[in-house]
Amino acid sequence: MTNQSEPRSRRMKTYAVLALAVLAQAAGNVFLSKGMKYVASLEHAGALDLTAIPLQAAGNPMIWIGVALSIAFYILFATALSWTDLSLVLPVISAEVFVNVAFADYFLGESVSTVRWTGTFLIAAGVILVLRSERKKALPPCQDQRVETVPER
Amino acid sequence: MKTAIVIAIIVLADSAHDVLLTKGMKQVGEVSTIKPRELFLYARKVVSNKNFLAGFFFTVLYFFSFLAVLSWADLSFVFPATSLVYVAGTFGARFVLGEKVSFQRWVGILLVCMGVAMTSLQ
Repeated sequence: MTNQSEPRSRRMKTYAVLALAVLAQAAGNVFLSKGMKYVASLEHAGALDLTAIPLQAAGNPMIWIGVALSIAFYILFATALSWTDLSLVLPVISAEVFVNVAFADYFLGESVSTVRWTGTFLIAAGVILVLRSERKKALPPCQDQRVETVPER
Repeated sequence: MKTAIVIAIIVLADSAHDVLLTKGMKQVGEVSTIKPRELFLYARKVVSNKNFLAGFFFTVLYFFSFLAVLSWADLSFVFPATSLVYVAGTFGARFVLGEKVSFQRWVGILLVCMGVAMTSLQ
């Protein structure tokens, strides 16, 4: 393996892990949202809500599937962080906002309006601008044009 | 109002989690083996790292606040609203750490705020 191909293969591995992380997170959020909405829709006895709701949530399989997928996201994200810098991880993670809204629209039937989609687009554009300005600040001037390079550990 | 307070908790916990987890994982080093014994030793190193543990605490806080808000609010609003973490980070950098914030970053923050305001309209 050459010196050039090593960072490239590592970068591909990082992106693959992050793609899996984003999908696991969005699917997990769908299950959590379904589970919590179901629990909240059950009849609860007023003052007992503080104990009844967590107990109902703990007994709901959808919550457990959501928790398992969230843990999978957490492990994948932590693994990617150990391979590279947060500045490289976050732009990929910023795609999660689209994936989550798309999953909410498709799987939860939230019928996302054009205004909400436009808002989502503005958020993603804003996040990219913030992260690009952070990366510029972090890199020395000579590396500024080589943003695709994975920093060597 | 209830939704705004819980989203503020989520945003602050998320900021703390990102910083502490990154610091912790950098201190521990990367995963370079699949041997069970070495993986076990690595996991022990991870769970005994103070920054990782603090990051994990904020992750738990984030998670339970997120669960709570999902019981009454739309995922398609809640999730984009958590992007306010970038706004919190920028204000923290500017007014707590006294860092210089670029014009590009302020534009990004403005877009995030406008986007969150738009997603809350539905």
